[in-house]
Amino acid sequence: MKLVVKNLKKNFGKKEVLKDIHFEFEKGKIYGLLGRNGAGKTTFFNCLNEDIEVDAGEFYIEDNDQKRKMEAEDIGYVLSTPNVPEFLTAREFLKFFIDINKNRIKNEKTIDEYFDFMKIEQEDRDKLLKDYSHGMKNKMQMLVNIIANPSVLLLDEPLTSFDVVVAEEMKQMLKEIKKDHIIIFSTHIMELALDLCDEIVILNKGILEEIDKNNIDNEHLKNKIIEALKEE
Amino acid sequence: MIETFITSFRLKNTYRANSIIYSIKQFPIIRKILPDSLYKNAGLKILANVISILWEIINIFIGKFIYIAVMIFVALSWYPTNQADTFIHLFTFLTLCGGVLNTYMLNPTKDKYYAIVLMNVNAREYGLSNYYYQLIKLLIGFLPFTILFGLLAGVPSWIQIALPFFVVAIKLIVMNYCIYDFKKTNKASNENLPTKFVWGFVAVCLLIAYGGPAINILINPNIFLYIFIISIILGIYSLVKIHNFKDYRKMYKQILTESNVYMQEKNTGTQAIKDTSLKQIELDKNDTSNKSGFAYFHDLFVKRHSKILTKAVKKQSVIILILFIALIIGIEMNDEFKNKMNEILMVYLPYFVFIMYCINRSSSVTTAMFMNCDHSMLTYRIYRTPKVILGIFKERLKTLIKINLLPAILIGGGLALLLYLSGGTDNPLNYLVLFVSIIAMSIFFSVHYLVMYYLLQPYNVDTEIKSSTYKVVQALTYFVCWYMIQIQLPTLSFGIATIVFCIAYSFISLFLAYKYAPKTFKLRT
Repeated sequence: MKLVVKNLKKNFGKKEVLKDIHFEFEKGKIYGLLGRNGAGKTTFFNCLNEDIEVDAGEFYIEDNDQKRKMEAEDIGYVLSTPNVPEFLTAREFLKFFIDINKNRIKNEKTIDEYFDFMKIEQEDRDKLLKDYSHGMKNKMQMLVNIIANPSVLLLDEPLTSFDVVVAEEMKQMLKEIKKDHIIIFSTHIMELALDLCDEIVILNKGILEEIDKNNIDNEHLKNKIIEALKEE
Repeated sequence: MIETFITSFRLKNTYRANSIIYSIKQFPIIRKILPDSLYKNAGLKILANVISILWEIINIFIGKFIYIAVMIFVALSWYPTNQADTFIHLFTFLTLCGGVLNTYMLNPTKDKYYAIVLMNVNAREYGLSNYYYQLIKLLIGFLPFTILFGLLAGVPSWIQIALPFFVVAIKLIVMNYCIYDFKKTNKASNENLPTKFVWGFVAVCLLIAYGGPAINILINPNIFLYIFIISIILGIYSLVKIHNFKDYRKMYKQILTESNVYMQEKNTGTQAIKDTSLKQIELDKNDTSNKSGFAYFHDLFVKRHSKILTKAVKKQSVIILILFIALIIGIEMNDEFKNKMNEILMVYLPYFVFIMYCINRSSSVTTAMFMNCDHSMLTYRIYRTPKVILGIFKERLKTLIKINLLPAILIGGGLALLLYLSGGTDNPLNYLVLFVSIIAMSIFFSVHYLVMYYLLQPYNVDTEIKSSTYKVVQALTYFVCWYMIQIQLPTLSFGIATIVFCIAYSFISLFLAYKYAPKTFKLRT
């Protein structure tokens, strides 16, 4: 399965944020999306999530050489600022999400098993989400997106709010689930991208390009990325 | 101090001018034509500044005119009592209400927040200079209209001139008390969060203001003279105390928190409004639901927001009930009032459009729906599928209509009962039309606000309002309802027209919502 993006363009006024995005993302890989501030990473995600309309181009899922439109169910989007309905408890939020995604969840588990999977403590499970910390909300957001089992998982700097222990847990978890998903992970932290991601993609001046990391050590790769990002 | 005032005035003008340009840029077609560099366009900036200053001048007078016209002058016709005495009576007690509800100094506005908190302007100089400016505005703004309406009501000339000074004196006395209270308790009171004592005081003043003339208890010019002299003496004493108070910074630190500031700027929308909305969530462990899917989700939303939904409506209903009981007592005790009431009920139904507009909870409920629910959920694609959007829309519509119905039934039933007790009518259809038209208005406002919310969803992910169309629709709704106050039409014909209009509007707007909401109900960019 592949997510194919073809000639995607998005302008804001006269500013061309996404010029001509052309890329294929494959299932089973984590893509690290790097770019400078304002490069258009979030815009790119918002286009894929259909939060904003694209000006030109298309994107679709290609499965066994069959092309199909990317539906709402195909996409999970974890934002850098966690968005959870704060009037619900974590348990209620999970129940609601399982209810409306019933048909798509493979091997449905109990709510507590999901909490265990995400390492959410017993005493936090029946708390209102408004009383959750930033990191905990992020965990919940990540969890519901994983439960819904989307083909494509967009992660917009999701690990920055986690403490080191939880960040490590999340990294392991992403590595475990990547075989069933196409994961695109945007981050500013180069070490994280190099450590976690199978491919490094750079968004610079509205163009998406892959950095070849074969036969190159991390230090050289870092320099290569910085050079690519600095390019005017 | 004058320098601080000029700086703060300039600051206020600058962001007002920027807001004007920003608002212009929000309109769908204009947005595409106008460039982003507009903010640095000198000509436009001057124009926006001129508009801003003109608005400041109009603002001095327009509010006072509406206040005296609507709250006092219109009310004079309700009572058989001497018009001049009634005018003085109403003005005096309403001034007491206004005095405790609006101090200016303790109002956590954005201007104060920007200047004192963000720009570190001297709090005492800023607070005092702007306070004096507000008091001068009060004097200048009130004077033409206390003279104009005072002349029309036959109020003695010296009282026409004394009334604005009385208003200022009351403001000073209340402010001095607040400072005294702050010194004693170390707690500054935010005037937008009045205590139960303040609400009680306001309720008593309102009751005396509007109830007094109905049973012929009034303040006459002689009594007012004593009240005026005492107020002026206490006012001058308070002015000295207020001027000599040093701890404004400490006081403002408490008042000018983000959530206080943005709570009253509900329409601007920021994270702080979200914080305020979050405070409305209540978790009662017994509040569970046996429903599933989006019905479950909505059911819990309603239960967790009972503070602004069911509880608020229950409080409103109790007040309505008390008012009707008071009116019934008035009718039973005073024949002239009874006849007047009968006359009013036969021609004043349009007035109730405004009342139903004011008591309808839908606007604040849709705000809470966004802040506490849709703001987060709309980022999930699954929540934006037509099935989920329309499913939740249906549940919400049922809830909104249901919660607004209780006060509507009380008002509709109460009006029909008042009509009967005040002498009845030849055509029994009037009773039915009164009742049904009030219910229709209630349903209309519920449908209107929800459909507008779904069709024009105005907020972006940062909870800022990004739709000028939404603001225009809100303002239009207000002005149409306000305009209705001035219309007098036979209850039967206006009532039937209202019912037909409300039914037709509801059907059309629901059709539009079902057709377009799946496309329009998303976060703005």
